[in-house]
Amino acid sequence: MKNIKRALRMHRIFVTQELKRMMEYKGDFIVGIIGFLLGQFFNIMFLWIIFSQIPSLMGWTLNQIVFIYGFSLIPKGLDHLLFDNLWSIGHFTVAKGDFDKYLTRPIDTLFHVMVEKLQIDALGELLMGIALICVTLPQLAIEWGIVKILLALLVIPFATLIYTGIKIATAAIAFWTKRSGNITYMFYMVNDFAKYPSTIYNRGVRAIITYVIPFAFTAFYPANYILTGENPWFNIGLTVLISLIIMVIGICIWNIGIKAYESAGS
Amino acid sequence: MKKKFRIYKPFMIAGMQETTTYRANWIFYMLGNVLGCFVSYFVWKAVFLSDPDSSLNGFTMPQMVVYIFLMFLTSTIISSGGTYDIGEEIRDGTISMRMIKPISYNATFLFQELGNKIMTVFLLVIPLVVGVEICRTVLLGALQFNIALFLLYVLSCVFAYLINFFFNICFGFIAFIIKYLWGANMMKNCIIGFLSGSVIPLAFLPDIVQKILLILPFASLNYTPVMIYMGMYQGTQILYYIGLQVFWVLFFWGLSKLLWAVSTKHLSVQGG
Repeated sequence: MKNIKRALRMHRIFVTQELKRMMEYKGDFIVGIIGFLLGQFFNIMFLWIIFSQIPSLMGWTLNQIVFIYGFSLIPKGLDHLLFDNLWSIGHFTVAKGDFDKYLTRPIDTLFHVMVEKLQIDALGELLMGIALICVTLPQLAIEWGIVKILLALLVIPFATLIYTGIKIATAAIAFWTKRSGNITYMFYMVNDFAKYPSTIYNRGVRAIITYVIPFAFTAFYPANYILTGENPWFNIGLTVLISLIIMVIGICIWNIGIKAYESAGS
Repeated sequence: MKKKFRIYKPFMIAGMQETTTYRANWIFYMLGNVLGCFVSYFVWKAVFLSDPDSSLNGFTMPQMVVYIFLMFLTSTIISSGGTYDIGEEIRDGTISMRMIKPISYNATFLFQELGNKIMTVFLLVIPLVVGVEICRTVLLGALQFNIALFLLYVLSCVFAYLINFFFNICFGFIAFIIKYLWGANMMKNCIIGFLSGSVIPLAFLPDIVQKILLILPFASLNYTPVMIYMGMYQGTQILYYIGLQVFWVLFFWGLSKLLWAVSTKHLSVQGG
């Protein structure tokens, strides 16, 4: 209990520090947000142009697909906002020998790395996600109930943890190889598969994004439950279970990696 | 000429060594991008499935598949990291070290990147071209490979790379205004990615937008080489678009010289 209280206090200190830094460079943070907004905007243009040619994509309407896409941005944006610092571990922190600083501090290394930075660029994704959901929801005729609203809100933090867990696991590989940033990148590209209904893929791809690299649970499955109300145990229950498993695997790899870590610095 | 090459050769070798040192990391990066292609592939497959008549804006399904993978190949070949390198040096002041050396600033970058490219071409271009050709032969029932078009494609890629290289050098000067290069660079990549046809063929855009984009430098980057390879352009059209590419190479080369001249006058580096 005391530990949790201390961790929360540390978190607050780190976040205030970050906010101060951001206020110093206001222009930069607007550039980042606009950058991510634009990226998503062009993806939506792509969908929109495609749907001007065809009435539906394997039975999915434009509104449904945009809703799934918008939903996918929420967990992705949250993870990006809160735990983006994990990216830099595999890209340069370990390779440059800067990781040593975390080992000298009296707090858990993983916790320290995760809360050290706040990535405001992610607001671009979050704003776009919320906007897309708000635009499409009224046109989708979804049946809402108390249970569904609760489950929809509950699933978001767990879907976020799938991203975080995969990032922890792939960043930790750098403890052995010095650089693993592009392994994280590769996993993130798999995540693009989850932005579309998984019924458009063949069985092999579907099996991979469901059971091997379970990104389908960050977007399509939960969004599918919200759209159709089908299979809550699979769509929501399995999301929760898988996110916890991924987090445990990630933390285990991290802890083993820390023991194997040899500094790259001089 | 020979003497010039001797001066810049070490930069090229450094570029090659850079790529080979972190080759595992490089391979994962490429694998990630190939996966991105497969997402597009499945989306387009679904698009053509829901459309009864099987040609959209002049593209059939097999052509679309070829387009996706050629786009990936072309953007990899012509990619250039000048923005980041030059911008970073302006920001931290190491640009001053370059200015006191009696060699061309642009040329050192160019040769370093050419070193990178040699590795990329060997590791990526040959397997991908063979893959695309096998795929085309199987899908269309006959060998489609045309050596003349392929050579024109290579030529067009060289010009596209030079446009991209000088454009990125020009864009790097944005570091005088924006400090957050990563964000600025990403914004630029998003815009260029879409306007150069990497996301969707320009033929899918409204007529007027298409006409404008074809004249602007965007289409000269990815779109022109890919369309030439696929045989979408005929005789004089090929000449016209390659001519346009040459124009944009000269334009951005001149602009980068101009920006360099103007900014070195105003550059002030503190400390050192």
